[in-house]
Formats: sequence, C-alpha cells, structure tokens
Amino acid sequence: MQILIEPDNKMVHIERSGNVINLLKKLELRPNQAIVIRENELLTPDRMLDEEDKIVVRKIASRG
Amino acid sequence: MKCTRCRATAAVALPSHNAGFCPDCFQVFFSRQVQKAIKEKDLFQPEDKILIALSGGKDSLSLARELKLLGYDTAGLYIDLAIPDSSVKAGEHVGRFCRELGINLHVLDLQKEGLPIPEVQKKLRRPVCSVCGQIKRYYFNRFALDNGYSVLATGHNLDDEVARLFSNVMRWDTAYLGDQGPALPAQEGFVRKVKPLYRLSEFETANYSFLAGIDYCYAPCPYSRGASFTFYKSLLDELEHQQPGRKINFYEGFLNRARRAFARQEDLEGLKPEPCPVCGYPTTGEVCGVCRLREIMGAKG
Ligand code: SF4
Ligand SMILES: [Zn+2]
Ligand SMILES: [Zn+2]
Repeated sequence: MQILIEPDNKMVHIERSGNVINLLKKLELRPNQAIVIRENELLTPDRMLDEEDKIVVRKIASRG
Repeated sequence: MKCTRCRATAAVALPSHNAGFCPDCFQVFFSRQVQKAIKEKDLFQPEDKILIALSGGKDSLSLARELKLLGYDTAGLYIDLAIPDSSVKAGEHVGRFCRELGINLHVLDLQKEGLPIPEVQKKLRRPVCSVCGQIKRYYFNRFALDNGYSVLATGHNLDDEVARLFSNVMRWDTAYLGDQGPALPAQEGFVRKVKPLYRLSEFETANYSFLAGIDYCYAPCPYSRGASFTFYKSLLDELEHQQPGRKINFYEGFLNRARRAFARQEDLEGLKPEPCPVCGYPTTGEVCGVCRLREIMGAKG
C-alpha cells in the first residue's frame, strides 16, 4: 500500500497493515499524532484498509 | 465506529471525550468547545474588538474561522518576520484565508521596524527563537493597544498549554505558574489576552482544519529546531494515550485549584512592571527588551 507522509512529503510502502491503528503502529505513531486521509475522507483507527488504497498520513505536531 | 450524535460513519475518534463524530457533528463539537471556553472563562463579550494573532498555521487560522462564524468582531494581525521563503509563504496563506472569509487583515513588517529576524539572528548570541518570541509578543500587544482592540486572541491549544504547564511545574517557576491560563486580564500597558482553543487538542484542531478545508501553511521556519516542548509533548501524548482525558483534567485542575496560590505569591514577591522610558510599554528592566534590541540593531525612530 502506498502511503504519503506529510508534511515530509515522503512516500512509503507498507504491506498488509489491516486497519488504521496497525498502519499507525508500523509508522510508530499514536492515533492522536496524525490524521489519516483516504480520498479526502478522514479515517478513524478502526477503519480497514485495502492494498489498493492511496493513503495520506498527516503528522500534526506543529513547528516553531 | 459510528458518530455519537447521528450514527453516521465517524471521521474522528476522541477517546478523551469517549466519543466519535462524523464531519458535520465534529464541527459542532469543536464550536461548542470554543463557546464553552469563552463562556466559562469569561474570555470576552460580543462587544469586544478582538485582534487575532495569525501565523498561518492551523491553530491560528482555525481560531479565526471559528470566531468569525460565531459572529465576533474580529481582525487579524500577521507579523512578517522577513525570513526568506517561510515568511512569504506564511503571509500568502494568511492573505488568501482572510480574503476568503472576509476577515480584516493587518500586516506588520519587522523589516520596517528595523528588526528582520535573520539580521537579529546574526547579531545576537542568544537562541533566536526566544528573541523572536519576545518581539512578536511585544508587537502583538502594542498593535492591539495602539489600534483600539480590547482583546488579543492567540491559537494556543490544549497541548501547548499542558506542555507549558508541565514545564513550569518541573522548574517550579512560580511567576509563570501565577499567570498561566486561558485569560490574562488587561493591565496598565497590557491588552487582555485570551486563548479560546485551550480546551481543544492539537489533534482536534488538525481534524478541524482538514474538515473546514483550511489551507494552512506548514513550511517550517529555517530556525526551528522542531516544535517547542517536543520532548514534554511526546511524554504527555503517551500519558494521554494510556489515560484518555488526562491532559484536560490536569490543566483544568490547575486553573481551578492551584493557580490562585501561585498568583497570590507573585503579588507579594514578584517584580512590578514599569513603563519603558523609550516606548512607554511595560518592562521589569530599565529600557525594555525590544527597545534595547532596536538600539543594538541601529533601528531608527
Ligand atoms: S521557529 Fe523561532 S525564529 Fe522561527 S518563527 Fe518560530 S520563534 Fe521565530
Ligand atoms: Zn454525526
Ligand atoms: Zn521599550
């Protein structure tokens, strides 16, 4: 699955993540540290993901 | 997960509130948290003229949108720090945002004040962020008073406030503990300062900006060494993850049960600010920090 990490603008591939919470775990993020977007829709941690999904993970910690 | 209010598919899960919300209901939730803060902490009244400190980031823009939708009399102030790239980008985001929402925007240019941050950075040995913060606080306050605003609102969120409180407690900094909070009353030379987003976490503001379609700026400042209080914030995130609701309880508990004791002690022992002999704005030193800096930088007027 293709994941775009923002604001770094970095592409990563993650295999078989299952649901959002697992995906975040693989990225070493807590659910309150990023928002997860699929086709302009926000996903809660329980939502299942598909191999074909294009996902954006936007980390929220502000800078400066 | 289903929306707690309407049973549609939830878009945002909030363990600290034991709830989940669909996009529409989340915006209702967000707005109610802001209204609750304004009402319970008496932040301001409908007749107040509110100046909002706009940085171009998600917090300040979310705050500006929400206060505008709630019908308050607001205007924005953007301070252009004259940092190549990042100041221009942030300024464009703020300009577009204010045009779209019909918010009156003021811009204060530090270049014109003789204090462009890159020059300040070259000239001083202190870490630039503490000086930059001091300059911004000075001009936000001064601009508000000089232009007849009765309140200055900033986008500080719950995570900012809890991390600051935690850091103040770790140092037992009684002066800071005495006046940390979502409302600082007006005093001679100081405009009233408020933080209407103090009940909302950074996660909640991020969701709000996304759902509201706010095109905010996340171009980092080249001098930023990561977010402030990064380490404390990650400790507190871990705590919140294990014990949802900890952050807001810690902070509200401080406001309701501890702050007064520190404030009283500061009244007895703290330094009283006096007008700066150069600019007239309050300072606890002789000439105020910003006037001293302007002198070092050779600024005129
Ligand atoms: S990161 Fe530091 S220098 Fe840059 S805007 Fe923030 S306080 Fe100023
Ligand atoms: Zn709903
Ligand atoms: Zn001065």
